[in-house]
Amino acid sequence: MTRYDRYSLSTDQQQQKQTLNSPSAAAAADRKLDTVAVAPGTTMTDEELLLLERANAERDEIFLRYDQGRKCDSIDAWEDPMFEVYTQADRYGFLHPVAPAQSKEAELLQHRIEMERVKKWVKMHKNWDAAATKENLRRRVMKGIPDRMRSAIWRKLLDLDRQIRENGGMYDRMLDCARRHSPDIRQIDFDVNRQFRNHVFYRERYSVKQQSLFRVLAAYSMYNTEVGYCQGMSTVAAVLLMYFDEEDTFWALDVLMTNQRYAMHGLYIVGFPKLMRFLAHHDRILTKCLPKVKKHLDKHEVHSVLYSLKWFFVIFIERIPFSLCLRVWDIYMMYGERVLTAMAYTILKVHKTKLLRMKDMDQVTDFLQTSLHKQFGYDDDYVIKALQSSMDELKKLKLLNLPPPSANELPTMPRGQTVEPSTKARIGHRNEQFSEREIALKETVLYRSESKNEEEEEQYNNGVQGAGDRAATAEDEDDERTEKDYDDITEDTVSQLHTVSDMDGGSITKHSLTGTSVTSTNDISLTSYDRTCDIFRLQASGQHPSSRDPPPAGTTSAVLLLDQLAAQLSDEELSSYGAAVELMLDDEEDDGAAEAGNPVQRTKERDTGDDVSLVPEESEERELDPMEQSATDPSPNGQTNPTIMLHSPEQQQPAVDEEDEDELTEKQLSF
Amino acid sequence: MAGGGDPKWQKDASDQNFDYMFKLLIIGNSSVGKTSFLFRYADDSFTSAFVSTVGIDFKVKTVFRHDKRVKLQIWDTAGQERYRTITTAYYRGAMGFILMYDITNEESFNSVQDWVTQIKTYSWDNAQVILVGNKCDMEDERVISFERGKQLADQLGVEFFETSAKENVHVTDVFERLVDIICDKMSESLDSDPTLVAGGPKGQRLTDQPGQGPPNANCNC
Repeated sequence: MTRYDRYSLSTDQQQQKQTLNSPSAAAAADRKLDTVAVAPGTTMTDEELLLLERANAERDEIFLRYDQGRKCDSIDAWEDPMFEVYTQADRYGFLHPVAPAQSKEAELLQHRIEMERVKKWVKMHKNWDAAATKENLRRRVMKGIPDRMRSAIWRKLLDLDRQIRENGGMYDRMLDCARRHSPDIRQIDFDVNRQFRNHVFYRERYSVKQQSLFRVLAAYSMYNTEVGYCQGMSTVAAVLLMYFDEEDTFWALDVLMTNQRYAMHGLYIVGFPKLMRFLAHHDRILTKCLPKVKKHLDKHEVHSVLYSLKWFFVIFIERIPFSLCLRVWDIYMMYGERVLTAMAYTILKVHKTKLLRMKDMDQVTDFLQTSLHKQFGYDDDYVIKALQSSMDELKKLKLLNLPPPSANELPTMPRGQTVEPSTKARIGHRNEQFSEREIALKETVLYRSESKNEEEEEQYNNGVQGAGDRAATAEDEDDERTEKDYDDITEDTVSQLHTVSDMDGGSITKHSLTGTSVTSTNDISLTSYDRTCDIFRLQASGQHPSSRDPPPAGTTSAVLLLDQLAAQLSDEELSSYGAAVELMLDDEEDDGAAEAGNPVQRTKERDTGDDVSLVPEESEERELDPMEQSATDPSPNGQTNPTIMLHSPEQQQPAVDEEDEDELTEKQLSF
Repeated sequence: MAGGGDPKWQKDASDQNFDYMFKLLIIGNSSVGKTSFLFRYADDSFTSAFVSTVGIDFKVKTVFRHDKRVKLQIWDTAGQERYRTITTAYYRGAMGFILMYDITNEESFNSVQDWVTQIKTYSWDNAQVILVGNKCDMEDERVISFERGKQLADQLGVEFFETSAKENVHVTDVFERLVDIICDKMSESLDSDPTLVAGGPKGQRLTDQPGQGPPNANCNC
């Protein structure tokens, strides 16, 4: 039996499909049909016609199954996981083989705290535009939005009401359009089938939430055709769907993708240009603030693209515990992209000692990719405090904000146009050759993973020397702008990003990226090959490949890119590192009063203080770096220094007591 | 270098736990079962609560082969086309590839040739490849016959297995066979030029067709 046979719909099925479509949807479909821009008359081969027909039938069938939902008679036995092995769901709906470890008392206490907080949040929500709300919001978001208020508050932070008001009917139109044309349905189906199957919402195949997730992603693939659908988006949308209904999720997803504050668009488009910027900035922060960890990771070949990709793509989902992740999401909703690199830094900072003890790539990667998700080792409040400190520290160092985006990270086409995808895209052929943008990313990944610190540092220094003053001014301005953003957040929450027309030479869409010149692909393969040979030669002669210069031709684009990035930096080299240390644990003003009467908290602060006092030591070490780097001495500087000890997670006191105290004091003070 | 860099045959002097380390990659279209296959091999487990791989993950397993401890570093990659920019960067230094398709999905089989092209373009010349048709437990939904798979493998000059991660069919066999052919290639290379740790003379390419792939003339190794 061929695939084609499987997807030929019988007449019965066709009729069934008709009756499933609501009359209004069908009417809308008829209307929209006329406005769909049909691709200019292209002639297709018989084979293409056959494949196209098959692709269309497949799309229809997948849609049909989601329309039927649980009534669908073609659910394979294996598609419903045997969840009888799970006995317990946590408060967020995730199912666990064993009951979550939290004690009854701790649960009650947490509940009590949250109930107290809910009152304040209800009040803030009611008076969203009030000055008092503005004042309190920043501080309270850092303490976590009570789970039952998340939906309402995220809605405000993302300004969803306005989105929906201004775009009435759009969601249904896009969904209808997807039903007819989306080239991404197969991939979306694959991923919906694999998204959070350990969660009550998504455990059943074609459950109500699986249906919603499928439709949101399908509709979005037509609404923002430059992104279409990219793996990772299902995770983001699935979390949003835990708090929003279907249409709200669609708009929340769009805000996260296209609003400047978040701009995930650039992460997911072909070539992942924003990922490059995140990785470069993350490495810059590590070089500056955690040089030992950076060297240690480099020595063991654990490069940032390996462990941090999911941090940035899906905002730490399934890399840290879900409860902590939601706290990060709260802060991300408020402050946007800068939270991601600050959190990435925080994770490595709080686990510095542990990381430095790990002796190989497997351990480090397993720790960062798997262990931290199961058990972070520090309670959520502690980590969020550390995140706040990191943000303060990075702000002092002018490393909080990322360098400005390159032009190709932003949408270049208006969204919500009904454009028929190319035949090739609809059939689902993989492109044989890389687009220019893809080549740039690949070379950057290669370059980043093969360059030694020296090279990168050199690039960076050159850039700073070259354009130091100009860049410093730029970053100051940027700081001001975003500071204003903080202040205005309750008034003008979201301003839609204007689409950039004709940026980067015009129509860059995933459909128009197919025609890549043969030459460039050949260049790459030659380069890779030459470099491989070089590596062998150098190995034989006992040299390390990266010690040779100049870099091979193929890395030019990456080098240029790093140069550009570096040129956009301020003169961070000159900023005082010591000053940041003082601020590292500078707590929120209102916390001081509560802490004064709380011995547990005070002990904790002292411990952490000891931890921080080590930073100047690193600072000294940094000054020595250029000398070490110029020497070819391979002895690693990133070896564990036994004197550098973070207090172990086991020593952590649960922070609930402190929070409780904190809350009560805050209550007395503010109400 | 993470994934990039030099093929590593010899152990790191500081690590006493293995004699050789091989870096292997599992590649193929989305949802063919790459992650399940790896979990079955590394953890001997299978769950129907599947997850999609975003980016790249890896697992480690040490095996004994010909009285040597061989540490396998097995990289699991995202299958969506958009991620190939990331994943192909990790092809460098890989000594073996498990190229997987799903016997119930024709599209995944049709893409095999594309994946082979990617391997040829971005990997080290001596990298060994095994073609794997996964999900062979789903006989009712099979659309790619064993013969078609075998024929394609022969045409590509690679070995072929049909496997089931779910039912644990031939999973270990694939890895053992891949380790064996890498070992063969390694001793062949070392025999003919003992001065080189890696690299060695040109071995058999995927299809061993002269004139394909990058030219050899510029290379002194």
